Amino acid sequence: MKRGLKHDFTLVAILLIPIGVAVNVVIGQLVQILKIPLYLDVIGTMITAMVAGPWVGAVVGLANNLILSIFQPTILPFALVSIAIGLTVGYLSKKKMLTNIGRTIVTGIIITLIAVVMSSFISVFLYGGATGTSSDTITALLLASGQEIWTAVFTKNIIVESIDKIVSILIAYFIVRSMSDRYLSKLNYGSPYIKKK
Amino acid sequence: MEKTNWFLELYPTTKLFVTLFMVVSAFLVEGYWYAYLMLPVCLIIAYFTETSKELWSLVMKGLLPICLFIFLFQIFFHPGETVWWTWHTLSITQEGIDFSLILTSRIVAVGSAIILFFRVTPVKDFVYALEKLGLSPKATYVVLATFNIIPEMHKLSLAIMDAQKTRGVETEGNLLVRAKAFLPTLAPLILTSIAHTEERAITLEARAFTVPVKKTSLYQLKKTKKDTGVRALILILLIIIVVWRFVL
Repeated sequence: MKRGLKHDFTLVAILLIPIGVAVNVVIGQLVQILKIPLYLDVIGTMITAMVAGPWVGAVVGLANNLILSIFQPTILPFALVSIAIGLTVGYLSKKKMLTNIGRTIVTGIIITLIAVVMSSFISVFLYGGATGTSSDTITALLLASGQEIWTAVFTKNIIVESIDKIVSILIAYFIVRSMSDRYLSKLNYGSPYIKKK
Repeated sequence: MEKTNWFLELYPTTKLFVTLFMVVSAFLVEGYWYAYLMLPVCLIIAYFTETSKELWSLVMKGLLPICLFIFLFQIFFHPGETVWWTWHTLSITQEGIDFSLILTSRIVAVGSAIILFFRVTPVKDFVYALEKLGLSPKATYVVLATFNIIPEMHKLSLAIMDAQKTRGVETEGNLLVRAKAFLPTLAPLILTSIAHTEERAITLEARAFTVPVKKTSLYQLKKTKKDTGVRALILILLIIIVVWRFVL
């Protein structure tokens, strides 16, 4: 199967984009209903990136933040983080870094690092360290205890992102593993997840 | 009644120009008063288009918390000479107050302009206008399909959760119990939604979705004289601001 920017947007992949965004949004609502103290709002991006490749993953990330920013415009700059997550997961999936639980956790750590660095930069440069969510109270506490703004924002992001991103990638891994071989065979990047006999 | 719909009837890109004008001018004009003024301006437009309630609640939910935290962080952290108040490591400086006022005023201006734009412009109209400007119909489909799928999937998730409850999966209790309910809801939800894409692919293919020809639309929007007028007015205002800021 041909891969790359020109070949990745097949009809099946295009139809996966709205599903990916909707999964992100609906999981966000589900997490609130079940009162789980995590965001888990990039699972859809991760799943699409895993099976449809980095470019489709990046488009899901971008579309996700564009649509959310209709209701909460301050989220818009963080689209860069979502795009990066889509690209990274897609790339690592191509490199077979998501074929067993051990490797998936390593991928989770890589994604955490990227997410922490990028969202810290955006948050400090554009919003003076704030994000407008409840996790800002952690930053406030760290600042009050005499920390510098960079240390405070980085520490807060490591605390918030690490568990969230690792749990997210594990959930994405389990869901891709339970997809049918017939469906996976239609996708450009589905081959590593087909159960071999 | 005619007057209330005057703004709503504008062509989507004209409304976008109004929004962009508010955003750009908020950065061009010095000081924070003008940028803060964009919020009341948006509220007035929202009042005449009967969207003020939504606008206000989104501003309160989306912009107020971030602005409050920016104040909290910058007031105590931003270095400055003019100290107003000190307690242990914390000190409030004039520079910190000024910086947070400028920053929050711009966030308020950009945020409320974007929120207003999507209150007065249906997404359908917006993507229609973008398609006229050359956006691929595939991208239009993705945007519109996402808006249709989100409520559909939300309903499905509640149905699956109810079904799992009947099977004995607990959705209330301590964190571990609630977390255990998460995956049994999620997996069927995502797998069902993905399975539906195959049927959608057949339907779309039957309507020549991937055929590389020019697509026509049953939905039509027209530009009127009002659009030309509003665009000209915005251009004049922008020139006045630029001249006043950089030449005078």
